[in-house]
Amino acid sequence: MSLLPFSLSLLAILIISIIVIMQRSLEALQVFGYRLFISSTWNPEIGVYGLLAPLVGSIVTSLLAVFFALVFSLPLTITITEHLRGISKKIVTSIVELMGGIPTIVYAVWASQYLVPFLKTFIMEPLHRMFSFIPLFSCRPATGFSVLSAGFAIGISIIPYVTALMIEAYHSIPIAYKEACYGIGATRYETIRIMLSLSRPAILAALILGLARSLGETTIAVATVGNSMYLSACLFAPSYTVPALIASQFANAHLYAHAESVLYTSILVVMLISVMLSFYASTILIRWRSRIVV
Amino acid sequence: MYSWRKIREKLFTCIVTVFSLLAIAPIIHLIIVVSINGGMAMLKAGLNFFTDLPPTPYSKEIGGIAPAIVGTAIVTAISLPITISLALFAAIMTSEFPRNPISLTIDAVARSLASIPTIAISMIVYVLVVVPMNRFSALAGAIALAIVAMPYAYTYISTALRSVPAVYREAALSVAMSRWGTVLRVLIPIAGKSIVVGILMTMARIMGETAALLFTVGRMRATVPFSPTEPVDAIPLLIFDYILSPYEIWHQVAWGATAFLLLAYVVIFLAVKLVVKEVRM
Repeated sequence: MSLLPFSLSLLAILIISIIVIMQRSLEALQVFGYRLFISSTWNPEIGVYGLLAPLVGSIVTSLLAVFFALVFSLPLTITITEHLRGISKKIVTSIVELMGGIPTIVYAVWASQYLVPFLKTFIMEPLHRMFSFIPLFSCRPATGFSVLSAGFAIGISIIPYVTALMIEAYHSIPIAYKEACYGIGATRYETIRIMLSLSRPAILAALILGLARSLGETTIAVATVGNSMYLSACLFAPSYTVPALIASQFANAHLYAHAESVLYTSILVVMLISVMLSFYASTILIRWRSRIVV
Repeated sequence: MYSWRKIREKLFTCIVTVFSLLAIAPIIHLIIVVSINGGMAMLKAGLNFFTDLPPTPYSKEIGGIAPAIVGTAIVTAISLPITISLALFAAIMTSEFPRNPISLTIDAVARSLASIPTIAISMIVYVLVVVPMNRFSALAGAIALAIVAMPYAYTYISTALRSVPAVYREAALSVAMSRWGTVLRVLIPIAGKSIVVGILMTMARIMGETAALLFTVGRMRATVPFSPTEPVDAIPLLIFDYILSPYEIWHQVAWGATAFLLLAYVVIFLAVKLVVKEVRM
């Protein structure tokens, strides 16, 4: 068992990380308590901090990201597993793999320079003109940098991850189900519907894992979310996410009392949420696997 | 002639195909745009792009990204061996004793470590390394990257080791090889190609990570650094700062650096594809 110390390094890293973050955020929790989570005023000069806006921003952005990822990943999964054969399947699979590994900073550059203006002109402005009575679309898209842009950009960046998880789940369904469907004369559409309903828990797990990942996404969020402490029901308004807040405030935080500690508290919340989400997702997956394999 | 079921079938195929094309359209647009903008910036700067210092906001010349390239090289060279060796030991342990409670714990820990936001790791290393050393350094960046990449490397390597058929292990043990001997002379050589793939993918991940470097490496752009305890720069960090700046010249540098980073990633990706192809044969 001479490998034990090395193998335990992973465990040690996790424990130390959690202790450090908790210990650093203790100060802010003691000073401000629950008031941190119910206000969105951010004024380090007079020592007033509120994390409501970035927390809500993070959650809304990530939910949007997962929604967009679902809209594109599910068809992509079906195409790769059911419609494509031979060389074309190899090419599409390779493109998805290539997408999956591209550094997020590359997505961030592309999104801030091309995607945001595109969304502003072709999605946000028409929606605002036609549906401005709906609160979600009520504000004028000033620069395009907004919750919606960030959600869309992060959504694109997690498509390959979610798709890979879905394909893996789809392949782990025993072939007998598919044979049974075709055997009673089902069309391909009907077969796919049955296969998808069989893999629903696995798809849910893939989306939860995608959610956990987009909660922690930093570079794309900073480049697209607009970075302003602003809480609004409108999707076209600039906002903040927790990682974006930290990326822009942490460097100067030591100048103000409690600011650093508040930032540690914010990341502690995000970290707890994403660790819990990924544990929940893997529980779903394990239970699903043991039930689906006959 | 055409029943509803057949029409629905065709309709479904159409919709699915259209959405799949929409899903991969962004990446194709991204690659084209990065190549054009980055290529132009690099052409304008010439070979100096790899040897010069970055420009000031109002200079006419693009200059280069030498500090960032050297910084990324230093940080990768320090963190890759640490990551791979720790991940390899952990993977050997969990694949040799899969039902041991410690192994199960390590599996779960690797998963939860992967779900910690990378910016949190940057903040943790800031407390543990940067504050005690009293300055930013390549070393701090390398430690942060090692923590970020470790769960990935562990997953790749343990999948590779577990994919070796059990008969090889049984054969090795039946000729009285020790457990260590089996791992070193039978399992690792058989899984070798897949492990190489894992190492390459880990390297790509380390090279492209931004958030973990934000509060760890510092941003040394005035000279080309060569010491691991000095502050350095990194390519993703330079792109991050410059693309968010309002200066046109810095945007050009950022595009050039993005193209360079993407090119490096694509080269690694193609190498991985080649290795995988050989494994299949």
